[in-house]
Amino acid sequence: MKDYDIIQHITGKSLFIDDVNVPDGTLYAKVFYSKCAHGKILSLDLSEACSIKGVIKIFTYKDIPGINQIGGIVRDECLLAENEVHFIGMPVALIIAESKFIASEASKKIVIKYEELPVITDPREAFAKGQLSIPPRIFESGNVNNVWDKCDVIESGTCESGGQEHLYLETQGAVSYPLEGGSIKVISSTQGPSAVQKVVSEVLGISKNKVEVEVTRLGGGFGGKEDQASPWAALCALAAFLLNKPVKLILSRHDDMVMTGKRNPYSSDFKIGLNSEGMILAYEVTFFQNSGASADLSPAILDRSLFHCTNSYYIPNVKAIGYCCRTNLAPNTAFRGFGGPQGKFVIECAVYKAALKINIPPDIIQKKNLIKENDHFHYGQKAVNVMSGKSWDKAEMDFGLQKEIKKIRQFNSVNSLYKKGYAYMPICFGIAFTNTRMNQANALVNVYTDGSVGFSTAAVEMGQGVNAKIREVISRVFSISHDKIKNEPTNTTRSANTSPTAASSGADMNCNAVLTACNNILERLLNSAADDLGLINSEGLIIKDEKVFLNNKDTGLTWGIIVENANSKRISLCDYAHYATPDLFFDRVTNKGNPFRYHVYGTAFIEVTVDCLRGIYRIDSVKAVHDFGHSLNPVIDLGQAEGALMQGLGWMTIEEIIHDKKGRLLTDLLSTYKVPDLHFTPAEVIIKFLNEPNPVGIFNSKAIGEPPLMYGIGAYFAIMNAVREFNPDASPEFSAPFTPEKVLLKLYENTFAKDLHSPALSISDNKSN
Amino acid sequence: MNQNITFLLNNSAVTAVLNPAAVTLDFLRSCKLTGAKEGCKEGDCGACTVICGTMENDKVIYRTVNSCLVPVMNIHGSHIVTIEGLNLNNSQLSPVQSAFLSEGAAQCGFCTPGFIVSLTAFFLSSGNLKNNNILDFIDGNVCRCTGHSSIIRAAVNIKKEIGNAPDEFEKRLLYLINKNIIPEYFLTVKEKLTELYVDPTDNNNSDMPDYYVGGGTDLFVQKPDEMLSSDLSFIFKRNTADNVFEDDGYCCLRSSSTVTDILESALLKNIFPGITDFSELFGSTPIRNNATVGGNINNASPIGDMTAFFLALDSDVILTSDKSERAVSLKDYFVSYKKTVRSRGEIIKFIRFKIPKKNFFINFEKVSKRTYLDIASVNTAIYIEYENERISKINISAGGVFETPKFLSLASEFLTGKKINAEVIKEAVRIADAEISPISDARGSESYKRLLLSRLIYTHFIKLFPELIDIKETV
Ligand SMILES: Cc1cc2nc3c(=O)[nH]c(=O)nc-3n(C[C@H](O)[C@H](O)[C@H](O)COP(=O)(O)OP(=O)(O)OC[C@H]3O[C@@H](n4cnc5c(N)ncnc54)[C@H](O)[C@@H]3O)c2cc1C
Ligand code: FES
Ligand code: FES
Repeated sequence: MKDYDIIQHITGKSLFIDDVNVPDGTLYAKVFYSKCAHGKILSLDLSEACSIKGVIKIFTYKDIPGINQIGGIVRDECLLAENEVHFIGMPVALIIAESKFIASEASKKIVIKYEELPVITDPREAFAKGQLSIPPRIFESGNVNNVWDKCDVIESGTCESGGQEHLYLETQGAVSYPLEGGSIKVISSTQGPSAVQKVVSEVLGISKNKVEVEVTRLGGGFGGKEDQASPWAALCALAAFLLNKPVKLILSRHDDMVMTGKRNPYSSDFKIGLNSEGMILAYEVTFFQNSGASADLSPAILDRSLFHCTNSYYIPNVKAIGYCCRTNLAPNTAFRGFGGPQGKFVIECAVYKAALKINIPPDIIQKKNLIKENDHFHYGQKAVNVMSGKSWDKAEMDFGLQKEIKKIRQFNSVNSLYKKGYAYMPICFGIAFTNTRMNQANALVNVYTDGSVGFSTAAVEMGQGVNAKIREVISRVFSISHDKIKNEPTNTTRSANTSPTAASSGADMNCNAVLTACNNILERLLNSAADDLGLINSEGLIIKDEKVFLNNKDTGLTWGIIVENANSKRISLCDYAHYATPDLFFDRVTNKGNPFRYHVYGTAFIEVTVDCLRGIYRIDSVKAVHDFGHSLNPVIDLGQAEGALMQGLGWMTIEEIIHDKKGRLLTDLLSTYKVPDLHFTPAEVIIKFLNEPNPVGIFNSKAIGEPPLMYGIGAYFAIMNAVREFNPDASPEFSAPFTPEKVLLKLYENTFAKDLHSPALSISDNKSN
Repeated sequence: MNQNITFLLNNSAVTAVLNPAAVTLDFLRSCKLTGAKEGCKEGDCGACTVICGTMENDKVIYRTVNSCLVPVMNIHGSHIVTIEGLNLNNSQLSPVQSAFLSEGAAQCGFCTPGFIVSLTAFFLSSGNLKNNNILDFIDGNVCRCTGHSSIIRAAVNIKKEIGNAPDEFEKRLLYLINKNIIPEYFLTVKEKLTELYVDPTDNNNSDMPDYYVGGGTDLFVQKPDEMLSSDLSFIFKRNTADNVFEDDGYCCLRSSSTVTDILESALLKNIFPGITDFSELFGSTPIRNNATVGGNINNASPIGDMTAFFLALDSDVILTSDKSERAVSLKDYFVSYKKTVRSRGEIIKFIRFKIPKKNFFINFEKVSKRTYLDIASVNTAIYIEYENERISKINISAGGVFETPKFLSLASEFLTGKKINAEVIKEAVRIADAEISPISDARGSESYKRLLLSRLIYTHFIKLFPELIDIKETV
């Protein structure tokens, strides 16, 4: 299948935001940001910077014609700092110059003075000081307090999971230019065009219909451009609007890493109780979520941690508490999995620790407690079409895992320099925005008189192949070839009031809206064809491979003819349809309901080798059985699964975000923040399709974007197992990522390293040395 | 300041008046060749990769470079190939492109042109393609979307499909054109390059520059803006064949020797067969193609890998200026953090070390957060002469544990004349630990770096003398 987008990519012709043709006279913007994590601005002197030749203007919050407020869920975030700064990287001023270079030189000449205020980087400290962005959230089912007595084994502990830089390969950016009549156009690299439209309209103080936002494609998003593309679009639009000139703002990698938020780090407490058979009876968890300096999407992310705090397990008594803790870091935000991974990591730690206590492999507990058909999740939803056991059993069988485990044991018994470890990782992930209102989409499908088709939806293409999936839907409904179908850029004038492309639901919702629109058109076309053929109705008429058949007999009519005929009879060839995901409800007081359309399941087996001399490791293999439903496009879905998996592995291993006590990000470049590269990719990655139909999915398919990321969590425990093979005295500590540093310190814990690694870092500027 | 820069850009000769320190990526994108992307501007992502062809011994040698770090002066007279220059005329896809299509190896597409360019460079590489690892050619390209699995499948497939290309350059070109890997104009490149021949000495170099520019892989990461207004002297010479040579019992490396030159040097491989493994821990293929030994040493970073290696070989640095030439032991070259004994106007001409004769052992260890394309948390090299079951001579160096690259003189001294056993090494490790003063930074805490160096010293001995020391004796 020839996919339009991919052909553009491999020939280098795809236009990303920094590639789009800009009009002559376009000005360049650079954001001047705070270097102080918490403080009062005492003075801001722009005079020297303004006097540089080629500097057009420097804007501050005072220049904003509308409101200086961009907070989505909580109204707590300024576009440009007013009198206080709350994190290093907070935008303070916007420099507009004739070139990028001049803007960058000017930013070095801005003089700002702060009165420094105390800096909080740790969520538990924020909690202790009452710095919560929203009231605590509590999800409860059964009653944990009644069952602790009945448990044979109780384990408790704490666990940390680190932040994660999105590292979309294309940095954030926007281009904006004025349109006539006080309107403005913004081309943005955003997952949420409607969100950008809202922010721009509020900042400029103009109505939404005067703000046109367009997105062609993103060079990666991963959640990082769901809410956090808006500030750059708004700043760019602000300058274009006030100067009446085209303006371009592209963040450098360093500025992007410093100014934008990351996956929320979590610090958590857990307590788990089991009976002597290994059944989990009770689980209590408290999440201290590091939201950064403003709420951004953190409250919604926290909710998903609470939803997914039991991972794939059925636990009758659950109490989960979430605190959204405000700190002086860049506002943390959506990242593939959206709180799900953070929630799941904690229960896996709890299970691991309980297994150590009982002295059985964790997989015995994992398998025993997998959720089954008609069990209820702790938020009240009944589990249906459950694939947890099926995927586990298929993984065991197809991959011969018991044999693999024997081989690992054998290896460890004869090797002293290298040790192997393994872990199982089951997943279960709910599909839908947990904010019910957001589960709606719309689509415009235009059939042109020559039989070609164009479609517009709110789905933003960022490599996840959503447009290819939509083309698949159109091609199936009309039975025409893919190359007749073209997507239009996502544009708010065609797709209004839409949700961001996120929560793995972009394909589901937009395909469904497209499906309705196509069915409406098809109905009209077939009625018109019936009329052409002199039939009383269209019964028995179908289109197959662009030909029209009546009860399987070729009528001689073709797609091209019926389209042309319908138009000549003044029958509409276009349709606009709306889709609202059915059967969703959730009561945010009791925290019970049916928040998800369905769940995605799967099981992975991860094998690692640790080099016990050097403390480095390799992920040797990941084998998974994943619940894709009936895939709409196996090549795309496999790619999504492999990519998500690797991000999950990275999050658990080498991707380490480090801040110093003053709130400065030390890993602010690609030379210090390492993502998985080619060599890191396990030699063996096998992802098998479970291939069970999803009755509520489009053509029986399932969403794919986020769930496979969580297989990566298994790497943590596989490494821990390998380390403990070498050093059985190593205490099980849970602090992800499990970097080579932590591995070496664990390997030699109680031998050489007396003091454990403390994250308190003092550092001279070590930019790539 | 501005200068005429002439080069062959895909199929056409280009002459432009440019600041010689402008980087190639910016120039390409200003020409609306936007296939090369800016993902990081520090050599770490590969989205900007282009192929650079230079005439060497009557052949065009093609290598990938990170265009974000290459000053245009360094491409003067070269052939630069971008993704646009790889697309076939008839909008047919090349087999590399087709493999990406069928494996779905492009998702968002931002990294994709870089990968296609790097993989195509594999087919243009010298030697027998069968023996070259195609995956090495994409070790400098990072993809955040695919997790690389589909890219690896695509790469392995095309190598299988096209693998039998002839070695000889002209025949190879014809073969590749025939297979649609490259467009036809490649046949005319040699002629065109000869036509636009530029005199390498014609570079307006200053005698007392603010900076000598080697491959630029440090300078253009650390101070790209400053480069634009500095007085520069461009000294990079891509000349693989003679960069590493033997002279009077010494192995000499011209300052322009790149890591690639080292990898390809038969002389060095002969002395130290393990050098390939060590060199592959350095940067990525395109970085290795530009990173010079002179730059590595003079950058004086505490974690320079080549520096650590040549320290253990007890090398000398040969410095020249208008007036004089002097040899400085590498051990004495570093004064304090990023300060060296070199004075302004002095240039590193070459470095040299005595070619060891027999009973010697060399090892290099480097640990970083990510094993490849990462800067070391700690590195260390060792050179041992071992006779009559005793260490007769030993040099141990270490990086990342001191304000300069560190020669562990006390530990080395202690070990001289000793037998190798766990007790002795343990004492050496203790001495080494007292010689260093690592700081906590993004590459690790102080306590980690101390532990790591101690483990790496054990590693040297366990690797070189497995029968004399066992890991169990070291914990
Ligand atoms: C992505 C990336 C990965 C890297 N990985 C590694 C790695 O794994 N290990 C490692 O050690 N380094 C690494 N580096 C750093 C760098 O590549 C090396 O230090 C390299 O050897 C520098 O050589 P160069 O010619 O590019 O230096 P340049 O940037 O040209 O010069 C560096 C310094 O040396 C001076 N200089 C250069 N030549 C001379 C000369 N002949 N005489 C006097 N002064 C001179 C320059 O003025 C400058 O001060 C990496 C860099 C990047 C960007
Ligand atoms: S832009 Fe990342 S390597 Fe050049
Ligand atoms: S396809 Fe998106 S970074 Fe590679």
